[in-house]
Amino acid sequence: MLNPYIPMPVEVIKIVTEVDTKDIKTFRLAFVNREDEANFQYLPGQFAELSIFGKGEVPIGIASSPTQPGYLEFTVQKAGVVTSTLHDLEVGTHIGVRGSMGNSWPIDYLEGKNIVVVGGGFAFTTLRSLIVYMIHEDNRSRFGNITVVYGARTPGLLIYKDELAAWEARDDINLHVTVDKGDESWKGREGFVPTVCKEVAPSSENAVTVICGPPIMIRFTLPVFFDLGFSKENIITSLEMRMKCGIGKCGRCNVGNKYVCKDGPVFSLAELDKLTKEY
Amino acid sequence: MEKRVLKKDKLAAIIKNVSRDMLVYAPVKEEDNVLFMALKEGREPLLNFSNSRNAPKTFFFPRTEIMMKYTRTGKGMELSKGEGEVRETALFGVRPCDARSFALLDKLFDQDKYKDPYYIARREKTTVISMACAHPPYSTCFCTSVDGSPTSGEGADILLTDMGDNYLVEFITPRGEKLLKYFGDLPKAGEAEETLKKEIAERAEKEIRSHIPAKDIKPILDNNFEHPFWETIHRKCLACGTCTYLCPTCHCFDISDEAKGNDGIRIRNWDSCMYPLFTLETSGHNPRPTQKERWRQRVMHKFKYYVDNFGAISCVGCGRCVMYCPVNLDIRKIVEDIAKL
Ligand SMILES: Cc1cc2nc3c(=O)[nH]c(=O)nc-3n(C[C@H](O)[C@H](O)[C@H](O)COP(=O)(O)OP(=O)(O)OC[C@H]3O[C@@H](n4cnc5c(N)ncnc54)[C@H](O)[C@@H]3O)c2cc1C
Ligand code: SF4
Ligand code: SF4
Ligand code: FES
Repeated sequence: MLNPYIPMPVEVIKIVTEVDTKDIKTFRLAFVNREDEANFQYLPGQFAELSIFGKGEVPIGIASSPTQPGYLEFTVQKAGVVTSTLHDLEVGTHIGVRGSMGNSWPIDYLEGKNIVVVGGGFAFTTLRSLIVYMIHEDNRSRFGNITVVYGARTPGLLIYKDELAAWEARDDINLHVTVDKGDESWKGREGFVPTVCKEVAPSSENAVTVICGPPIMIRFTLPVFFDLGFSKENIITSLEMRMKCGIGKCGRCNVGNKYVCKDGPVFSLAELDKLTKEY
Repeated sequence: MEKRVLKKDKLAAIIKNVSRDMLVYAPVKEEDNVLFMALKEGREPLLNFSNSRNAPKTFFFPRTEIMMKYTRTGKGMELSKGEGEVRETALFGVRPCDARSFALLDKLFDQDKYKDPYYIARREKTTVISMACAHPPYSTCFCTSVDGSPTSGEGADILLTDMGDNYLVEFITPRGEKLLKYFGDLPKAGEAEETLKKEIAERAEKEIRSHIPAKDIKPILDNNFEHPFWETIHRKCLACGTCTYLCPTCHCFDISDEAKGNDGIRIRNWDSCMYPLFTLETSGHNPRPTQKERWRQRVMHKFKYYVDNFGAISCVGCGRCVMYCPVNLDIRKIVEDIAKL
């Protein structure tokens, strides 16, 4: 029996500091063993437990896409013990990864539809995975229009800046990057994510919105999508709870009878409505 | 299923023989408590006992357990799994409520896709020998309210029933039948024993004094997550966790690392939903901020969520949480009150 608690060794092969405050970094990890790499199958929206031996594990959304073979990427905010240790690591260090875990963005359901991706802050990570997946040449024709609204508090807090520029240059994706407040050098859009969504006003016709961000952003964005005619089945989000085991055993991440670690983290609003509001 | 009749005075010798070939845990008197302990040379198992204070789930899901060891080697890490080989084991004298708890824990730890290899490895190597409660021992016993019975063999491989001068020995599973050889050439049970067992079972059920509407509250829990009732039950709760640590069906755990120099271990320890930190996130947000939400979680988990997910109440009616709660919070009373909402 494969032991789901034993991490697979991975080597940190690249570290990118994403933001001016330096407390968000993206770690590129390569599997030490080929068979582990082959066994680690995933889809956008899933997460993994990153393991720093001697410190512990943290659940982190997978920021890379399965269309990017050879490595995994995770964008991590420095928060407590494990994430701070991770931030101090250097390229070449070996850490561990367990996964993949959880469900994923519902790719089958998204197929054939227009997709509106809405992200705020560094919760953009698994949305990035989804976007990279959808615009890959093998997949692009499976989805309709792709509209992305992504916002951060300041220009310096936007992550994946190079990639944003590359997407900007494409004509098969409508990208709207916004900041709450710009600075001298910022030539882009200013305004909160919900406001921008209202302006962009994507049609709800055959469309699904996938949304991830701080709770307050989500709270103000939802009414905009209801006004646009999106049903609760077609608004999809991801939950965060404190986790340990990641496989529905340790008993701490449940919302009602669902375990966020294995039945989630992705839920539609319609599904969330059926659960208790304890998250 | 093999059913045999065993003269009572022969049992001790049989257990002794079993313990030559495998590890045997049995109820033993330890100061003021009856505890399940390894049966060492010269220690006699208690044959007449009410129930152990500790729940025997600990043999499949230990209080603390090494999940993995590691050693730093240059830039790499060498990992090895836990504590190594699991030995062939027999648990002797498990009460039917506690044996049922194994069947309930199986549903969680041994799901189709999500398996717990540590639990399963021990379960596969362990023979559970139950002792029916011919006379339910405590006024707090309520197994019949949660689909159990004082003479049930659910979760057991072998079930012994005290029939006066003899035990009726039922070899319930193939794993149990493997132990037939230790019992020697016993007479098969006949109609007389069957009738007697039935009488004992009926009498034992009648002797259960505590009855609660545990099976009626599921539809009420389905609809009353926000009911003001939840404000009323938890106030004297100390958040000590005793109820969950003693409970044979509670399974929550924490995972943490301990390291010294280049060597380290990852361990898991029992944890409890009654603790404030259990769901506290690094951001400071806590989805269960007060004891109200934690008590509600405990009730919901046992009487609703487990039923939703596995079709069974996650309480076997052993009464431990009732007996040992330092402030006398009584889950039976709470279930009764919910039934009246
Ligand atoms: C499904 C999921 C995806 C996530 N994706 C990302 C991501 O892409 N990037 C990112 O930076 N962060 C992400 N997080 C949050 C991240 O897991 C926490 O910030 C992290 O666990 C904090 O650990 P720490 O050791 O640094 O903090 P400490 O406060 O020292 O935490 C101790 C332990 O508590 C647990 N824990 C504490 N807070 C949380 C929390 N909010 N969620 C889950 N477990 C917690 C962890 O087990 C951690 O090891 C995600 C969380 C979940 C549940
Ligand atoms: S044993 Fe009693 S006081 Fe302690 S946590 Fe349980 S209900 Fe609360
Ligand atoms: S909830 Fe209480 S009575 Fe029920 S199994 Fe657990 S300890 Fe026993
Ligand atoms: S993280 Fe253990 S049950 Fe979800």
